[in-house]
Amino acid sequence: MKRTLGYAVIAILFFALIWVWTLEVDSSLNYPEFISGGALFFTIFFLCLFNIRKRVPFLPLWPARKWFLLHTVAGFLALSLFWLHAGIMWPNGLYVQILVFLFYLTTLSGIVGLVMEKVYPNLLTRIGLECIYERIPRDIAEIRNKAETLVFECTEKTGSDTLAQHYLETLGWFFQRPRFFINNIFGGQNAQTWVMQQCSILERFLNASERDYLDKIFALAEIKRKIDFHYSLQTMLKNWLLIHIPLAAAVMTMVVWHIIVIQVFFN
Amino acid sequence: MTITTQSRPQRWDQPFGSDMTDGDVERLLTIPEIQAIEAKKFPSRISLAGILRNDARIMQYKAGDIVIREGDYGNSAFLILNGSLRVVLAPGLPGEMLGRRKIQKKNFWQALKQLWTQKISPEFRDVQRYNPESGLREAKDPGSAHVFLQDIPAILDSNKTAILEGGALFGELAALGRTPRTSTIFAETDSELLEIRWQGLREFRKYDQGWRRLIDERYRQNALKAHLGATSIFEHLDDSDLQEVADHTLFETYGTFDWHLSYKKMQGQDRVEGVKDEPEIARQGSYPDGVLMVRAGFARVSVQRGNGSQTITYLGAGDFYGADEIYKTWKGETDVSLKVTITALGYVEILRVPTKTIEKHLFAYWESGRQGGTRDGNPNPGKRRRIQDFFEQTLAEGALQEWAVQERFVNGTQAMLINLDRCVRCDDCVRACASTHDGNPRFVRHGKTFQNWMVANACMHCADPVCMIGCPTGAIHRSMSGGMVIINDDTCIGCETCANSCPYSNIRMVSIRDEGGQHILDPQNHKPIIKATKCDLCADQITGPACAFACPHDALNRVDFRDVTWGGETGGQ
Repeated sequence: MKRTLGYAVIAILFFALIWVWTLEVDSSLNYPEFISGGALFFTIFFLCLFNIRKRVPFLPLWPARKWFLLHTVAGFLALSLFWLHAGIMWPNGLYVQILVFLFYLTTLSGIVGLVMEKVYPNLLTRIGLECIYERIPRDIAEIRNKAETLVFECTEKTGSDTLAQHYLETLGWFFQRPRFFINNIFGGQNAQTWVMQQCSILERFLNASERDYLDKIFALAEIKRKIDFHYSLQTMLKNWLLIHIPLAAAVMTMVVWHIIVIQVFFN
Repeated sequence: MTITTQSRPQRWDQPFGSDMTDGDVERLLTIPEIQAIEAKKFPSRISLAGILRNDARIMQYKAGDIVIREGDYGNSAFLILNGSLRVVLAPGLPGEMLGRRKIQKKNFWQALKQLWTQKISPEFRDVQRYNPESGLREAKDPGSAHVFLQDIPAILDSNKTAILEGGALFGELAALGRTPRTSTIFAETDSELLEIRWQGLREFRKYDQGWRRLIDERYRQNALKAHLGATSIFEHLDDSDLQEVADHTLFETYGTFDWHLSYKKMQGQDRVEGVKDEPEIARQGSYPDGVLMVRAGFARVSVQRGNGSQTITYLGAGDFYGADEIYKTWKGETDVSLKVTITALGYVEILRVPTKTIEKHLFAYWESGRQGGTRDGNPNPGKRRRIQDFFEQTLAEGALQEWAVQERFVNGTQAMLINLDRCVRCDDCVRACASTHDGNPRFVRHGKTFQNWMVANACMHCADPVCMIGCPTGAIHRSMSGGMVIINDDTCIGCETCANSCPYSNIRMVSIRDEGGQHILDPQNHKPIIKATKCDLCADQITGPACAFACPHDALNRVDFRDVTWGGETGGQ
């Protein structure tokens, strides 16, 4: 926390310096946009370096945790510098409108990612189960096999197909693949409610030995529910960068072209 | 219903040497060192002949073969039957000559080169590297392979050595004390040795006065005085006082030497029952009769709470307990008793310094006001907490430490502790590990969890590295610089001894491949060649452990649980 505050103070001082400088340049009837634009380009360039740093973990270029803090602070600094540079929220002209739109999207995706990275780990821990993302399909298949074995066994041993019918009609859907994705990413409890409802609906139609099988299936559904929760949240945690990074690359490309064009026309 | 039956497992179901015959035992019974043992003092169920048959084996070494290496951990001692051996005196042979990996930190350019030199094929090995003249003497039984020295006359010329000849016993202190071998010994001529595993040595020491006297005297002469002198409570003593303390110190062992074998079975055990089964070293409420010093291993420190016992901390090598209680009694306080119960976690060696000796050599010094501020348990007061500090902590505060003790993670000096409340499961740590190991990650980001803490399956570089016991070529060894446990891929013969011994399943056997991704096969039996792999703490990287360096959320740290406070924060990496 102390380190974050330290970086934030540096960023604020940097912004203040640029602001004062632009005011001074403006008062001397020069172009303050070159000052704010230069600072903004430098900041965006620095933001992009984080991704490169991640690909060379063997180089002694500061620990990633420091980079991450700087990246976060620099992200907000870039937004502030952009407003200072543009002077307005939404500019005129198609090219800059596309550029600003992409810039806003990048910033927004960064903020959403940051929030997810702060909130989701805690939610995942509280679920009380850990699983490796790449192994989730295998884990679900294993659970499904166990559930179906129980259903077969129940039919064979009790001579009743009530549980099997219910499994085919409803529960089987749940065990098929990860479910309740949208609800899970908002931390909802729909999966839990659904599983409990489906089991309690069936309960009164079963005798004691069938209920034992239902209890076992319910226990498996609970594990599956937790794995689904992991699947949803880990998918978000892994995939938001697939939006953020291409957007950032597009912004950087457009910024470079923007600078070239400005230089050409200015000269 | 069918009942499955099995004859009850016996101690000698798996003899040390499968080739030992009755004839060998008869022959051994005639050699002077064994003949001197009073066989009738041994109980019938653990006869002398039985020990020789099952706890010993005859080993043949060719000239140049290394018998023991400096720094290795071993669980057996050697008696020379025939031939001549040489002990290499300080400064010893270079690591590469002993079959060890030379660690050289990469410079910036070499580190950068990893970006494009990584192989696409997993576990790629250049077979040209495995030079047949690398000094590895293979054997039919992988456990009997040796590293050998190639130019004995040159080694004798350039190193100080001492001769060991027929009848000499060596390696017993390291075997019984679970401490590293202090020197390298190699065969100067073709030699025949009797290798006795620690269980047999223990029986010899227990039932034969001659062997007991020999082993104990050697320990007092060679190791005890130095050990006591290095502790904070006796560092002020001069040589003669230190000798007096050493003469009066009692040497005790608790628990099973092979604790790692029973560790996995213990995993499902009830926590309270598990503590009850641990051998008791000192009991809460009893009278203090001396200072207990841990020489090797770990001991659980617990206090009675309600109907259970709460583990408050643990003692490791160099820690001690009891001085405060004895001091209070010495100062005239009555009804002073031990405030904690101490039990053995696995295997523990305790030095018990009697009260009288402590009173004479320590308290007068304390009274003079010159003590360094530590009286109990903590040889490093600036960094770690004393046992007394743990009495105040709540059950919740001590829970993480208690869990670490229960799971024996306290053995680790570089455990990978992940704060799951911060970890975004991005696997940057795994990718970084792979980038620094030719594309092959050396750990699994998965492991046992407690609350929001996970100890991932990565080598913990244990204080008591049981994985090193039994490695036939010394491929797995502790680095002299840095203390990390590393594997020399060149001398690893894939025998799996280390992987099977690791109680935490942190060593993985991999099938090595050529550049095209094809498995490299043994031409004799067409089976794939396998090698042991594990975390080497990025010993050759300038960044240190890449996993911790690459974690953007500060969720992953390499920790010694001694430095982990109740909140899971570490005293530093």
